[in-house]
Amino acid sequence: MSRARVRSFAVLGVMVLLASCTDDATVTTTSPGAVTTAAGGGATTTAADTAPSGDGLLAAIQSRGNLRCGVNEAVPGFGFLNPDGTRSGFDIDFCRAVAAAVFGDPEAVEYVPLTAQQRFTALQSGEIDVLIRNTTWTATRDGGEGATFLHTTFYDGQGMMVRTDSGFTKLEDLANTAICVLSGTTTELNLATRFADIPYTPLTFETNDLLRPAFVAGQCDGWTSDKSQLAGVRSAFPETEGGPQSLTILAETFSKEPLGPVVIDGDSQWAQVVDWVVNAVVIAEELGITSSNIGGFADTENAEIRRLLGLPIEGDSGPTIFDAGLGLEPGWASNVIKAVGNYGEIFDRNVGPDTPLGLQRGVNALWSDGGLLYAPPFR
Amino acid sequence: MPDRVRTPWWRNVQVLRWLAQLVAMAVVGVALWLLWFNVTNNLASRGIRTDFGFLDQPFGVRIAGSDLSPGSAVRLALLNGIRNTFALAIVGLPLLTLLGVAVGVGRLSGNWLLSKICTAYVELLRNLPPLLLVIFAFQAVILRLPPARSPATPFGWFVISNLELHVPSLRAGENYRAFSISLLGAVVLAFALWWWRTRAQQSTGRPHHRWLWSIGIFLTAGAAAYLALGRPITISRPVLVGRVVEGGYRGLGSYFAVMGALVLYTASHVAEIVRGSILAVPKGQSEAATALALSAFQRFSFVVLPQAMRIALPPIINQYLNYVKNTSLAIAIGFAEVTLIAFQAIGNGQPAPQVILILMGCYLIFSLAISLAVNLYSRRMRLAVQ
Repeated sequence: MSRARVRSFAVLGVMVLLASCTDDATVTTTSPGAVTTAAGGGATTTAADTAPSGDGLLAAIQSRGNLRCGVNEAVPGFGFLNPDGTRSGFDIDFCRAVAAAVFGDPEAVEYVPLTAQQRFTALQSGEIDVLIRNTTWTATRDGGEGATFLHTTFYDGQGMMVRTDSGFTKLEDLANTAICVLSGTTTELNLATRFADIPYTPLTFETNDLLRPAFVAGQCDGWTSDKSQLAGVRSAFPETEGGPQSLTILAETFSKEPLGPVVIDGDSQWAQVVDWVVNAVVIAEELGITSSNIGGFADTENAEIRRLLGLPIEGDSGPTIFDAGLGLEPGWASNVIKAVGNYGEIFDRNVGPDTPLGLQRGVNALWSDGGLLYAPPFR
Repeated sequence: MPDRVRTPWWRNVQVLRWLAQLVAMAVVGVALWLLWFNVTNNLASRGIRTDFGFLDQPFGVRIAGSDLSPGSAVRLALLNGIRNTFALAIVGLPLLTLLGVAVGVGRLSGNWLLSKICTAYVELLRNLPPLLLVIFAFQAVILRLPPARSPATPFGWFVISNLELHVPSLRAGENYRAFSISLLGAVVLAFALWWWRTRAQQSTGRPHHRWLWSIGIFLTAGAAAYLALGRPITISRPVLVGRVVEGGYRGLGSYFAVMGALVLYTASHVAEIVRGSILAVPKGQSEAATALALSAFQRFSFVVLPQAMRIALPPIINQYLNYVKNTSLAIAIGFAEVTLIAFQAIGNGQPAPQVILILMGCYLIFSLAISLAVNLYSRRMRLAVQ
């Protein structure tokens, strides 16, 4: 009997312990400002990760000391994991730009590689602070995914890539073929819309790495995705399989794909920070500031440049430094430009005419050059 | 013993046990409630819906191997995925059972070569991760077939590409209905003969030959009906017309890749179970069978194997469940089973917690159904007297 009693008490003790643990966990996960939730696949962060010094995501990131950036690692030119383990690409540069703005250090980024399907769950669960992964802005994603889309960094459109020797020249030629597409993407939805009257078999894959062998082996005759992504894939197409010239991207663009950074709903301070990092690189291009000439503006008379770079502005009461009140150190934009350059530099370095992708600026030129890039004034 | 002191309740082990149970239940209940509250609260605060209304939303994309239009509801797409998972199970489970039993028996064979081949098969397959096998079967086997734009047509009876495999199928011809009724009649006749031969053996002791009789009458009656009704069933050959294949049955290449890989993988586990179970049958059983002058074949198939299967069944159920759960690996090669459809739905804006919940429910139902079926069978197999 005494043994049974001891056991009962032991059980009770364990339960009390468990109960208290459960209690703690609940307090941390539901406290205001904490970015964790048990939702969506169980990706959670612990309380220590997000110990807030203020109550917003920005403060949490600052106290953590690095930026968690959700990225792609299979699209050359945009988000790519190089054989030597480094990451490069247009989207990666924007991750670095945000880190430079927040910490003054573009290397303070923890990259979180995500598939198309994982990305919003990762954002919702607080696993990442910002999603910069060639993500298209749509109404459902804005409304239903709890996501806030920020300033578009790349205006893209969907295209179709086929083998050059197939002789296909327009989408209708692909009737009764199989078409490879990534699952959980807007391209998958656009494909269904554009091919409503064209019979086809969709083959959906999780990642480009799994899709490529199917396309190479001729299981599918078309590969559809954002044109920029197709250009990246085409540029890296191995010579053993025929090289880039064995593939053709058909002329028709059959969707609008505005790609840009995404943050979680409900934290406008953090959203503004990311938004203004994008604005800053666009403004820098408007003002002619590049990563190489940025040191030469100390004596400039241009007030907007002085505001943007955080240079002292003379006044009757002595020099003042402009602070836009975004919660960042004045001069953050100069850190951004030093780290990644202006928009034109980012574009040219990763996807421009001198890269394997060889993309023209097109609609991604500044508004003053007839493109769509337009940033609000920095004042 | 009238003066015996009653145990106070806080020292009464029965009360304490009840109390412990109640506290345990309360703790579990509170934990579940907190989790639920946490999830729904956080989702609601981010404007993400927590109901199941999304099941009526359009799925938005087409599914390979299905005629479902993109505008169909998410529920229909999920059902389509369930059907594809079921198609993997209904063909794969019998195949892996046959293969597993054959290899398991083969490992114990006296034939040196056969037993070594079976051993090598088991040791190789069972020690590889199934995902690797699925990707291997897809990329190294199926994708090596001719590309979809120029399929092979061996013997004019098949159309084979790495996208789809087409095989001849049966097609209903004239008088098909009358023919199926007469086939049904033949089956009834065969069963009646079976019963009659069994009775005859029991009363006279002469051999019943019931297989011979039943199958013979079925084939004879069937053939007579087929001839009398004039080609009630024809064979439909797959024919390549431009890029479209007409006639025949078709299966997606990825379907065969998943099924092939998982059948080979799971069969290696089943083989080990079968081998162990055969070895677990007491030696006296086969010695007794030898003493009764049974042949080696009779000894094995009527004495050892039935007893071995009784031992093997429970662990084989586990392998069946593993097979069904492993079909979710098809997502790696793009076969539209239920997991792929569910993840596709999540990727296209449907709420993840609810979709995952439905997905878990699907696999739970699959697993419980298999357990139930095999348990019913094993109850029939159980010895009447232990």
